[in-house]
Amino acid sequence: MKPSTSARINRSWGVALALVLMTLLVVTPLLFILHTSVTPNDQWNVLAPLQVIMDAELSVVLTNSIILGFWVVAGASILALPMSFLTAKTSLARHKWLDVVLIIPFMTPPYIGSMGWMLFMQRRGFLEQMAPFTEELTPYFFSLFGMVAIMSLHLFPFLYLILRNALHRIGAGYEEAGAVYGGGFVYRFRRIFVPLLLGSYAMGALLVFVKTIAEFGTPATFGRKIGYHVLTSEIHRFTSSWPIDFSKATALASVLLATCLVFWYGQNLISRRYDYQTLGGKGSKVKLIHLKGWGRFTAWGYIVFLLATSIGIPYFSILVASLQKLRGDGLRWGNFTLEHYQNLLTWGSPGMEALLNSLGLALITATIAVVIGTFLAMQIKHASRVSERVTDVFSLLPNTVPGIVTVVGLILLWNAPWMPIKIYNTYGMVVLTYVVLFLPYTVQYVKSGYQQIDASLTNAGRVFGGTPWYTFRRVVLPLLVPGMMAGWMMTFTISIRELVASLMILPPSMKVSATYIYAQFEQGEVSLGMAMAVISVGLTTIVLAVMNYRGADRT
Amino acid sequence: MKASKMVGRAGKAAFLTMTMSLALLVTACGSNSAAGTPSSNQTASTTSPTQTANTESEPTPKSDKLTVYVAGPGKMAAQIKEGFEAKTGIKIEQFDGTTGKILARLEAEKSNPVADVVILASWPSGLSLKEQGLTQSYAEAQHADKLYDTWVDQDKHLFGYSASALGITYNTKLVSNPPADWADLTKPEWKGAVNIPDPSLSGSALDFISGYLNENGDGGWTLFKSLKANDVALAGANKEALDPVITGAKSVVMAGVDYMAYEAMAKGEQIDITYPASGTVINPRPAMIMKDAKNLENAKLFMDYLLSDEAQKIVADSYLLPGRTDIPAHESRTQVKEIKELKYDWNWMTEKGPAITSEFLGIFK
Repeated sequence: MKPSTSARINRSWGVALALVLMTLLVVTPLLFILHTSVTPNDQWNVLAPLQVIMDAELSVVLTNSIILGFWVVAGASILALPMSFLTAKTSLARHKWLDVVLIIPFMTPPYIGSMGWMLFMQRRGFLEQMAPFTEELTPYFFSLFGMVAIMSLHLFPFLYLILRNALHRIGAGYEEAGAVYGGGFVYRFRRIFVPLLLGSYAMGALLVFVKTIAEFGTPATFGRKIGYHVLTSEIHRFTSSWPIDFSKATALASVLLATCLVFWYGQNLISRRYDYQTLGGKGSKVKLIHLKGWGRFTAWGYIVFLLATSIGIPYFSILVASLQKLRGDGLRWGNFTLEHYQNLLTWGSPGMEALLNSLGLALITATIAVVIGTFLAMQIKHASRVSERVTDVFSLLPNTVPGIVTVVGLILLWNAPWMPIKIYNTYGMVVLTYVVLFLPYTVQYVKSGYQQIDASLTNAGRVFGGTPWYTFRRVVLPLLVPGMMAGWMMTFTISIRELVASLMILPPSMKVSATYIYAQFEQGEVSLGMAMAVISVGLTTIVLAVMNYRGADRT
Repeated sequence: MKASKMVGRAGKAAFLTMTMSLALLVTACGSNSAAGTPSSNQTASTTSPTQTANTESEPTPKSDKLTVYVAGPGKMAAQIKEGFEAKTGIKIEQFDGTTGKILARLEAEKSNPVADVVILASWPSGLSLKEQGLTQSYAEAQHADKLYDTWVDQDKHLFGYSASALGITYNTKLVSNPPADWADLTKPEWKGAVNIPDPSLSGSALDFISGYLNENGDGGWTLFKSLKANDVALAGANKEALDPVITGAKSVVMAGVDYMAYEAMAKGEQIDITYPASGTVINPRPAMIMKDAKNLENAKLFMDYLLSDEAQKIVADSYLLPGRTDIPAHESRTQVKEIKELKYDWNWMTEKGPAITSEFLGIFK
């Protein structure tokens, strides 16, 4: 059955609108960066960004970023591999709560986590106060090693989930087949496990790498303290601290952009090369290794270590700092107070204003992003045509490109002197930036829901005389709701914690919780900032938990 | 059966979310466009009936807003804002930043200037804004004659409504024998224990560095090189440099603003401050009306308020040095007369500022 002409025209209008929207919101800002960076003196020079960087002795910044990326991949692998093995292949698999708990480090905003670590490890910090003999060791933490450790502890859950799922899919059948044909353990490991795992690992590792070089929070706090400057922190410096230099900032941004795209492309190649169909029709059973005695002890020791370092230490420091009366008095009974919380939560206080700003922005952003994202996802459909595939790529671009790069692009575009729509420096600009940055979440969630809807459902709707709007409203939309909810939730939580965009585009008199925390660390009172960190992380966790609970209730 | 019920329920929920989102979208767009139009247009249109009478005498539309960019201290800025709003009913849009961030913001907004009044923590930075023609004169400023002579420029662009002196702040639990002079900090006993604020963020630190170089000539760089060799750490803006000293992570912060130390001492933190024997820099904080000020009348009112008894009292209570000679500083702190100053010339410092910043950062990064 052919769709009617009017429906077809409608559809192509939809795709066209989606393309125009994405070009305007996402692609143009990025093209602006590239254009500005390759035309330094109004002359085309494709290598100009590299020249600017070499001339200004900024090449060290690029190599710093890449070195950091490799180390963090190594660190995250060391942390994630044993853990994923434990929960996929041993009797620890039944502890499902581990999966939930291990998301926490990833959901903790990196700038907050880094501040926690700094408070803990610094000279006469919490660690030395509890165990004075560590005085000899703590200075060593303030080095590249510490930075890699903090970032690995933040990013390993990502790799963990990917690896665990991959391990999970490798059913016992493959191993048994290997054993039946006489393969020893090492042989089986080498020829079955490794190849099957490699694709997923390469994908996860590259994602960690890209996330590392795109990360701003840790370099802006810890990195600055140890003098380890990377691309993101230098871009921020050149755009927001005097003397500013937009040409250097755009040069760095385009290099960062190019690096990320190269690695994404590499990831694409690898995952296509090592793509095995391990999900067959036959149910696969998983052989679990039963841990006992020393094995069990070691396994739990490892888990406790991992949870303590990735969650325990940062949150301990944040909580204690938020409760301290006098910062100079350290850990001592009687030096605790709830005064900072009281101060923050007083109606009309700057902290409360920042918090309300964050909540308001997050609500608006999440709602707009869900509406636009759902529209886009429905235009992408199964990404079978070129126009649909292009829309798909464009709409996911903000997730591929480092946030700071997108933000610089948006500033270049919307603050241009010729720009007729004057939204720069207004509330609208903040909403626009957040929506652009977080659109991919909704698109992803809704798209996966939409692609699962069988055409027979809408056909049935039409057969029974439903108008297109009616079928959409009564058949398609209800099936999309879970995806929309997930997208909304994700956008909401992330918007509340967003730092880099907020630092760069908030209008003069406005503060949000993230910039408030950052400003307290820089200018004001650390205790107040940490109290705000506790409140904003707590709030978003509650939102997530409630939404999760309600979601679980419905299915 | 169950599935259809589920779909029905989900459908209702979906419809609800949809309407909610639409409603929010509409309001969001409304607020966007409202915020998007320049404030002057909007107020002009709403106040036009009353305004037609005096259009000729007052070409700039009277507004009830004022945009101020102010470089700390945050609490004092908030009190001044509150006081001014209560007194005049004018609403202040305020950006709190460091001197470096404000200069960056002004630069980024060059094509669409927003600020009416700018207050920096560095006199030379203020002078350079004046030289770029970004500020305007306000000759009739009230009480300006009571300011210290050197805390206001001849053309009445910059008003040093408050000032801080730069000292050596130390943790009294860790330091029993405080350094007497800057050069002492190059001694091995202070290795790795000293912070200095980053001059690209902290205007006052830049003033100290250029003031010191002004008196000592190029030979002054030896001090900074040997400080670097002694592992002096560059540590963000003032507060970031001071906080580790309060917690004991570092022992001393050099060239930090003194009012922060007094404030922390008043809170009960165990630190103290000393002014070096060879002299230091007292840096008045300039308040300036911008050339492109859209709310010029309000900006003038604000400047008058800054120099009024009320605001000067707020300055004194925040442990800064009040700009007016007739208002004494807080009794628990050192007064202007008691602080020995280096010999320096603001114009020289203004001219050399950027070069000094990059050379200094070159040594320390």
